[in-house]
Amino acid sequence: MPTFGTLEVAGVVDRLATMRDLDTEAWTLPGAEILQLAFEVPRATGSLLPPAMHPAIPPYATIWVTRYPESPVGPFTVAQLRLMGRAGAHPRGLVLGAVASTAEAASALRERWGLPAVPGQVTLTRRHDRITAIVTRDGVTVLDCGLIDPEPISPTDVQYIHSVTLARAPLDGTTAPRLIQVDSRYTLRKADRGRPRASALDASAWNAGPLCLLNPIAATVTSSDTDLPRIRFVMDVAVPVVRGTRRIRESREE
Amino acid sequence: MKFGLFYEISVPRPWTRESERTVYQNALEQVRLADELGFDQVWAVEHHFLEEYSHCPAPELFLTACAMITKKIRVGHGIIICVPEFNHPIKIAERTAVLDILSGGRLEVGTGRSATWTELGGFRANPDTTKKSWDEFVRCLPRMWTEETFAYDGEFWSMPERTIVPKVYQRPHPPLWVAVTSPGTELDAADRGLGSLGLTFGQFAEQEKRIAEYRRRIRHCEPVGQFVNDQVSTVNFLYCHEDDATGRATGRRMADTFNYLAAQLISAREAFPSRSYQSLGLLPQLRRQATGPDASEQAGEGLALGGPQRVLSALKRWEAVGVDRVNFLMNAMEVIPQADVLASLRLFAKEVMPAFADDKPAGGAVAGA
Repeated sequence: MPTFGTLEVAGVVDRLATMRDLDTEAWTLPGAEILQLAFEVPRATGSLLPPAMHPAIPPYATIWVTRYPESPVGPFTVAQLRLMGRAGAHPRGLVLGAVASTAEAASALRERWGLPAVPGQVTLTRRHDRITAIVTRDGVTVLDCGLIDPEPISPTDVQYIHSVTLARAPLDGTTAPRLIQVDSRYTLRKADRGRPRASALDASAWNAGPLCLLNPIAATVTSSDTDLPRIRFVMDVAVPVVRGTRRIRESREE
Repeated sequence: MKFGLFYEISVPRPWTRESERTVYQNALEQVRLADELGFDQVWAVEHHFLEEYSHCPAPELFLTACAMITKKIRVGHGIIICVPEFNHPIKIAERTAVLDILSGGRLEVGTGRSATWTELGGFRANPDTTKKSWDEFVRCLPRMWTEETFAYDGEFWSMPERTIVPKVYQRPHPPLWVAVTSPGTELDAADRGLGSLGLTFGQFAEQEKRIAEYRRRIRHCEPVGQFVNDQVSTVNFLYCHEDDATGRATGRRMADTFNYLAAQLISAREAFPSRSYQSLGLLPQLRRQATGPDASEQAGEGLALGGPQRVLSALKRWEAVGVDRVNFLMNAMEVIPQADVLASLRLFAKEVMPAFADDKPAGGAVAGA
């Protein structure tokens, strides 16, 4: 069998988001701008994945910075660091850390989808030859990255991998750490690809312990209509997801 | 219809000093038996870094070992990665010629380009250009095998005039194939007069449509070699047991294990968006078959798992849709004990294979070996 993550969940419970319930209503998010950078990361990052998931071979992470011009809590930008892996046979990205540009957005993302979001300053800047993202918290830069030399590609070439969050979620009368699948939809309108660059990443600010960015893979920036969906799948953190997945809702529309 | 064996060489953890050796030794024992039983071909993949899924980075060595312990079975590269960071074309021509000589003209050469970021990234190959480099390589290879001297100046490689030795043993040269996983690659094969080495499982209707288009298209091809290899090969699982339920259950366990392992791989498209890898290819299909809601029904279609009659029926359907050869994966992660794999081979040869005996020549005979 493939190896499993080795995260000791009990050691991180205190910093997990606490969800209010699993009945989160969907948010429609038109006109989003999404910057994604992919880098290979060290094998030691297996210690950040819960035992329910398999590390990717080789391990890699994505930095995901999304500007939402419209949302129920107003415009905001959120940066996420995701460690990519497998939930059973499915590619998934575990959200290690997130910074949202407004306190209201950070709170909603924590309570509704279990994102480990905190408020901070998040900028996404388009220049002729690059798209840069800078995240600061309390005046300290915790992420400085970007896409260099964008070239148009077909939007159909871009494939976004669904996220999972590790959060304290109420189910069957108990609130406990669980994996929550966040499977947004995307209608991509425009896409560019370029080289990923990261000049600063403070791993501790992203709950990312041993993670550092190694071999750059690719970077994309897209324009897309998207959403944050209703929650359908909740997974046990400690057993393989093929045995520990609970479907709490048949469809996203239910 | 001809039958063959197909090897990924999957090695389960924990990896001990002996575990990889055991898997290779088991494979060689199977090949030796298959040769005695009348199987027509053995194929080996070229994969790199694919932990547990495939520990077969040097197929030319495994295939040479196969050739040395057998008399008739043909040995096939399924496939050689035709990307310059992985294999230099001169080395491909030289290695394959030596293997053709050592095997007494039993070589088949599949070509392809890799489909995982794990491998492409590992060799720092550019996913954008793998199809172009493959195209360049397959047009050079027959000339390197057959022309007295050869010089080349292309986009991906060049060489001054030299005599590439040795030359292949088969005349004019070994049959050439292309790995076909993504829809449309069978047309690339047809346009170049190359055999379609299918690496996908099941789904008769889809395969029938693709085979028909391949047959139509190859009639008007411009062959890159000195003959047209208009054959269609597909891959399947094989576990044949006297008791149908046992055969299906054991075989299903093997297929599920393989599909689950395959789903762990990082497809090129997942990590590196590229027009060169537009199709989702094999991995998502296997992922669906491993865990999708239609897993049992869809994945079961056409698989050679179960009692002899069920296996025979499945293969007759493949024959009816136009498949010339079926290559079998017989184990994954050694979930089936070696003795049971050998018994499955024997039962298949006794109860199923005779129903497909015919006078049609295999690819090597077409090539005039």
